[in-house]
Amino acid sequence: MAIVTAPRASVREDSIRRPGKPGEKRFGLGRIVAFAILILLAVTWLLPIAWAVATSLQTEADAGSAPVSWVGETGVTFAAYAKLLAEGNVPLWAVNSVLSSVAITLITVGTSAMAAYAFSRLDFRGRKWLYAISIASIMVPPQVLIIPLYYQMLAFNMVDTYWGLILPQVIAPAMVFILKKFFDQLPVELEEAARVDGATRLRVFWSIVLPLSRPILAAVSIFVFIGAWNNFLWPFLVINDTTLMTLPVGLQTVKSAFGVQYAENMAMSILAALPLIVLFLFFQRQIIKGIATTGFGGT
Amino acid sequence: MAPPIPREGPMLGRRTLLLGAAAGLAALGLASCASPGAANGAIPLKFWHLLSGGDGRTMAELVARANAANPSFDVTQTVLTWGPPYYTKLAMASAGGRAPDLAVMHAARLPGYAPGGLLDPWDLDLLAEFGVRREDFGDRVWESGLYDGDVYSIALDSHPFILFYNTDHAAAAGLMEGERMRQPRDADDFLDMVTAMKEASGGSGLSYGYVNDGAQMWRLWYTLYLQQGGVMELPIGGKARIDDGPAVEAFRFMQELVDESRGVPNADIQTALAEFISGDSGMLLSGVWELPSLQAAGIPIDAMPIPNLYGTPAAYADSHAFVLPHQNDVDEDARREVYRFVAAILKDSFDWAGAGHVPAYLPVTEDPAYADLIPQAHYAEVSDIINYDPPAWFTGSGSDFQSLFAENLQPVLLAGADPQAGIDRFRSAVDELLSKPNPV
Amino acid sequence: MTTTAPARRTAAAPTSTPRPKPRRRDGLAGWGFFAPFGVLFAVFMLWPIGHGIYLSFTDQSLTGSGGGFIGFANYLEAFGEAEMWQSIGNTLWFTLLSTVPLVVIALIMALLVEQGLPGKWLWRLAFFMPYLLASTVVSLIWIWLFTPQLGAINTVLTGIGLPAQPWLQDPSLSMVSIVIATVWWTVGFNFLLYIAAIQGIPEQHYEAASLDGAGKWRQLFSITLPQLAPTTVVVVILQVLASLKVFDQIYQMMNQVVTPSTQSAIVYIFDAGFTGYRFGYASAVSYIFFAVVLLVSLVQFRITARKGA
Repeated sequence: MAIVTAPRASVREDSIRRPGKPGEKRFGLGRIVAFAILILLAVTWLLPIAWAVATSLQTEADAGSAPVSWVGETGVTFAAYAKLLAEGNVPLWAVNSVLSSVAITLITVGTSAMAAYAFSRLDFRGRKWLYAISIASIMVPPQVLIIPLYYQMLAFNMVDTYWGLILPQVIAPAMVFILKKFFDQLPVELEEAARVDGATRLRVFWSIVLPLSRPILAAVSIFVFIGAWNNFLWPFLVINDTTLMTLPVGLQTVKSAFGVQYAENMAMSILAALPLIVLFLFFQRQIIKGIATTGFGGT
Repeated sequence: MAPPIPREGPMLGRRTLLLGAAAGLAALGLASCASPGAANGAIPLKFWHLLSGGDGRTMAELVARANAANPSFDVTQTVLTWGPPYYTKLAMASAGGRAPDLAVMHAARLPGYAPGGLLDPWDLDLLAEFGVRREDFGDRVWESGLYDGDVYSIALDSHPFILFYNTDHAAAAGLMEGERMRQPRDADDFLDMVTAMKEASGGSGLSYGYVNDGAQMWRLWYTLYLQQGGVMELPIGGKARIDDGPAVEAFRFMQELVDESRGVPNADIQTALAEFISGDSGMLLSGVWELPSLQAAGIPIDAMPIPNLYGTPAAYADSHAFVLPHQNDVDEDARREVYRFVAAILKDSFDWAGAGHVPAYLPVTEDPAYADLIPQAHYAEVSDIINYDPPAWFTGSGSDFQSLFAENLQPVLLAGADPQAGIDRFRSAVDELLSKPNPV
Repeated sequence: MTTTAPARRTAAAPTSTPRPKPRRRDGLAGWGFFAPFGVLFAVFMLWPIGHGIYLSFTDQSLTGSGGGFIGFANYLEAFGEAEMWQSIGNTLWFTLLSTVPLVVIALIMALLVEQGLPGKWLWRLAFFMPYLLASTVVSLIWIWLFTPQLGAINTVLTGIGLPAQPWLQDPSLSMVSIVIATVWWTVGFNFLLYIAAIQGIPEQHYEAASLDGAGKWRQLFSITLPQLAPTTVVVVILQVLASLKVFDQIYQMMNQVVTPSTQSAIVYIFDAGFTGYRFGYASAVSYIFFAVVLLVSLVQFRITARKGA
């Protein structure tokens, strides 16, 4: 079902497509109304983040006293950010988030690509069954497995370890499915030529298949990375040690000893959101393409 | 393997930039996780608690002082969200075997933790080595830490549900006897006092926030129930004992108390606090932990235990207590330092009274300086008559039990529903809990 | 069922050679390539699935006690538990409340953005950025917006003369509040899927239509929307599956103390297992809920299949 990398499905950057008809270029009433609605929607969607940024730049006293406003009475301050960065928890959680998300992405994409290649190209006993079971498991929401998985972590002594954080998050049958569909469409001639020249399967996979698959691998990686970076439930369950927490878990679990700190809360939110937003600003096209091509297959 | 991003010329510069930023962030994180204590041989200890606001501030000071005075340990405190989330996390950490070295729990939650091996018992000999003994605690407070003959929690305090009053309004209402408000003769007399207070304050006679707050409802109701000699027993696998007479009478009284003629009939805790703090109310029924915010508001207040309205002195309370979450591999040296730290905090807990709580460590409350602490000294006597939640694995502060209470009985106060019917519903809900196997 | 969607787009790959026939038995290589995924899959997916079924027939506790076989007792208890049914009801209700706006608003956004108005990247940024935020961040931001006294939303409401609302505190409002935050958060995902689909509509359709003199509205209803129908089916299916699994926002925005009116199925499972320690019972509820998810999928499949016929 995945709309696999059909170049059509990719999102084009700047070609103005739809009104490509004569007489439509003028700003008719319809376009003005459309424009107005669009602006209204965009403003609505941007306001919450803008408000969070505004709050994070106030003193706690300003943020916590009515009437609230865009700029605090005492002006703009980076105090909340400075405090968070100095206290150490947030940078520590950021490191955990980076390490675990990168590890999850590499392992997921690596193992999924290999399995997909096996399913696509190699003839081995049990292949059909294994593929069927893998694909059927797409239907199992990971959330319904939290109890037995946690029990397993207890048995393996993996609670409060990086292993427990990472390994249960690296199984993505949907990505295997997407990658297999892609491999199926790759021309087989190159590989056969290399095989005739004596290249091993691994060599063919590494030097021919993977390079040809860059766009889809990028798409899958982006999808997996965003999911891992933002995942809450599993890291929340398996990590209790505050020094091992990821950003989303730490933000939720650890509170200030001084009660609710609005400015600090918002500053933490912005800090946690910043890495992905910056990545998005740099790689907007790739990320959108990644989501669009992978989104239909990932559940 | 580099992230397989499609090749495009201008991307390279940006990618380098981003990598640099990531590296910088990583360095920042690594630098900040180096523990300051590790350098000078102090044993790092992890300490979890659920105290925030005024409590959290005071605890942070106590921890900092203990760290400074004892070079052999370095305690890092972690504050988690109060209530069910805290207890869920604490249980999960203990079950996982890599729990923090020390945690604070409500003593009434002990039956939900101790039997399952989630907690390690305290070694009283080791505690005595650091100068903390059984005799240093009141009976009821000490017994709250016992389970099956072992001591599982060492109380830091007891924090009862009490009565605050505005001394100016009390004087205007003619209720003062010397420095303090007079005791009511009985329940009806207390209602009259509230009415007098209403006239004096020009707003409400008494503020009681209970809407959507099972704990607040339970605390007052259970106090009144016990004062009438009511007994509540929750035998696992059996039927709950809840005495109808006292149960209904307590509600009848509470209905009168929140009647429009005496105050705001449907206040939640914020409304009640705001009203009392702004001087628009004569009395406030709440926990001692509200004291710092009341004092900060600068209104003239004093406090007393909930007056004995029905003959049997009784008060609801719970305790913040130190527990040892279960660890698979106990580091004996670290354990020893935990004991040293707890003893240090207990002995230094005079300031904990500043947060409103009654320190459990008797040498602190017996100190002459404590008698000068007003209004704390005016309700310290309550620790002899306090009662914790009836023991069961599902009771205690922030438990399902209290929300069950609110679910079934809030309509009695909010909408004037029949108390007996509410009690019956509550009883059958509790019976159902009792019929379930104890999961601990 | 995720494999049933229209496959008509898959045709265009670098070159479309016919699917390669596996030539010879390469058993060793096949298993070798499959092994890394296979081992992880077996250990962290198949084993928990099987072990969960076993757990559901025991009275296993988080604390390690229990674990004896108790037959169908957990299932029977769950079937008789009103709170469990309510949590499933809430989940379905949330799914309905969230899916409709998440599909409709996403479609409107995509249609508007694809009108070719200036500033395309900005619109995409605005609508998609929230999707990049972790649930925790979304919850923190919306808790702050919804705060009764200081919250921006109530400040605006009272500013224009409307009464302030206890958004998250009032049991009858809290689910709606959570849906609002959810729509804001995840609509960008569906928006992108629609954008991709709109750009996939062949240009010739429009050219032919405008030659026939069809106006913009005619084109919208006679070309764009029908062409998007298969996409809408997929988006709805994916959205329903995603909404059924709701946990994060509810758990976080209700300050981790979930009231009966907002408790979702996953929250109920979490509560039973980790707050109540009852791993056996929570496992049983997990499988009951899984059955509900399958049932909903089946119903959806039936409906879409009939429409397609």
